[in-house]
Amino acid sequence: MKQKTGAAVALLSATTVALLLGPRLDPGTQDLATTLLVYLAIAQAWNILSGFAGQVSLGAATFVAAGGYAAGLALAHTPVDWPAGVALAVLVSCAIGAALAVPLLRLRGDYFAIGTLAASIAVQALLTNWNWAGGAAGVTLPIDRIPTGTVLFELAAFVAATAMALAVYVRYSAFGLRLTAIRDNEPAAAGLGVAVYRHRFAALVLSSALTGMAGAVTAYQYVAVSPGGMASVNWSLNAVLMALVGGAGSVLGPVLGVVVVYYGLTRQLEDFQVVSLVVEGVLLVLIVKFAPAGIWSLLTRAGRAIRGRLLGAPGSAPATPEAEPTAREIEVV
Amino acid sequence: MSADVMVAGVLAGGLYALIGLGISLVFGVLKMMNLMHGELVIGGAYLASLLVGYAGFDPLLALPFAMLGMAALAYPVQRYLLTGLLRASPNAPLVATFGLSLVAQAVLQAVFGTHPKALNAPYADAGFTLAGVRIQAVYAISFALTIVLCGATHLILTRTRAGSAVRASAADPMTASMLGLNVGRIYALTMAGAAALAAAGGVMTGVAQSFTPTSGLPLLLTGFAVMALAGIGSVGGVLLGGITLGVLQSISTDLFGGGWRNFVVYTVFFLTLSFRPSGLFRRAVPA
Repeated sequence: MKQKTGAAVALLSATTVALLLGPRLDPGTQDLATTLLVYLAIAQAWNILSGFAGQVSLGAATFVAAGGYAAGLALAHTPVDWPAGVALAVLVSCAIGAALAVPLLRLRGDYFAIGTLAASIAVQALLTNWNWAGGAAGVTLPIDRIPTGTVLFELAAFVAATAMALAVYVRYSAFGLRLTAIRDNEPAAAGLGVAVYRHRFAALVLSSALTGMAGAVTAYQYVAVSPGGMASVNWSLNAVLMALVGGAGSVLGPVLGVVVVYYGLTRQLEDFQVVSLVVEGVLLVLIVKFAPAGIWSLLTRAGRAIRGRLLGAPGSAPATPEAEPTAREIEVV
Repeated sequence: MSADVMVAGVLAGGLYALIGLGISLVFGVLKMMNLMHGELVIGGAYLASLLVGYAGFDPLLALPFAMLGMAALAYPVQRYLLTGLLRASPNAPLVATFGLSLVAQAVLQAVFGTHPKALNAPYADAGFTLAGVRIQAVYAISFALTIVLCGATHLILTRTRAGSAVRASAADPMTASMLGLNVGRIYALTMAGAAALAAAGGVMTGVAQSFTPTSGLPLLLTGFAVMALAGIGSVGGVLLGGITLGVLQSISTDLFGGGWRNFVVYTVFFLTLSFRPSGLFRRAVPA
């Protein structure tokens, strides 16, 4: 398990660097970094559920809302501190994930995707009408009790690091191998004794908890929770977009995807809504058409080709862990 | 429950069925979730708005042109992009049609702006009373149109050679192409037909209410809800599914107020999908 150790060391150093750098950043950059880390956690959570476990979700917004509202309402309605809010966010999103799993796990493929989408719209409609949660206008959080600036950044870094750690675990553990086995061939996996339902359930709940944690950070960053902000379909769509563009089913793909999509597109084209939409849309089509395994896989493949040529023995270069072809690619070939 | 509420629900349900029919057709034949269906609907409304605005057409006169226009736009997209993706990976068309829907929204925004538009017609706000029940003219017209288009779709699928080819491609594309059917073309024609149906729904939606370039998503969800209620592969089921959804909306608005309408509808949609994935109505016609 050398690769696993290497990944853990890399993740630990990246987190340390982020925590050391955090307090030195100016507020604008810090806010940007917090946003990127939140998206990273959400994209990675989607990646665990959909990239590794193969259950394509269009419902990340459900859990952003669950976590955000739990963390926000805890502060708005009770005198607890924000760490308790975050803990509650994890509990509530786990509980909602587990409850939704009962109907959702009956669904396969596209039906699962549509089911998650329907659930997220129902949640948004519920929040819009729930007076205790502020109805359509939402609730403003008590500014003196929420984490801001460096503390918020550190919370975001912690959440993102947890997501990355879980992705590394899923990538290298027997649990993760069983998940990908279910993704690639469910009957075969079941035939070999993999407890299909339990694994799909675990992936869904794990992903829900991570997304809920990210939702809590977002609620504190916005200093408010509202159905339009927390339960927006945009969360679900961004999760898919970022993970797919970077490379679903790999650990580092979502990192690349978040940077490319949020920093490279959304942020740069903020003032050009129309152009931004067109570029995002065209990018999605191009990715699924020409690089279904994402940019990360393109890069690793290019890297391997160059290395192979330099060493003068094409094809003899060992496969890097991130670039292993998925069963889908094999089928296409 | 007053008769007004029920009748309004049934009539609105006709329009939902029209929007759901195209999604159901594409899913039934191509086994593909079309996330740009909402934009096909709204695109039809915008195409009609050009004819209504510049040529002074009545929306109903503009309707066939909008249907043809959307069909002509959808055909090459399916023929040269989506069908290829269908063979690549199971999720690719889902993602690609989502990407295309973003592009379509952006194009509509750039061309028509973000202001809400509506198709003006003398019957847009008119109503009449039949046997003591208040009826909105536009919903009565769209209901009649839905019956006609559902009937036409059903007859084309079951009584024509082209319809047999479509059903053969749906049942077993491999064998169909081995027997000499051009499955790629049939898929594209099916998508074009679905786009035409969507456009018809869009024109009637545009008369009944205002629309913006981002109105597609709720319409897409309406279509999915209809499909979930109806199950796959039956035109009659889609009609019943649409009407069920319309009545459900109408009753929940009446009982709980407009705010809860979406919650009730999407919860029922979600539960139906999960616990009765073959729909509330068993398939009546093989498609």
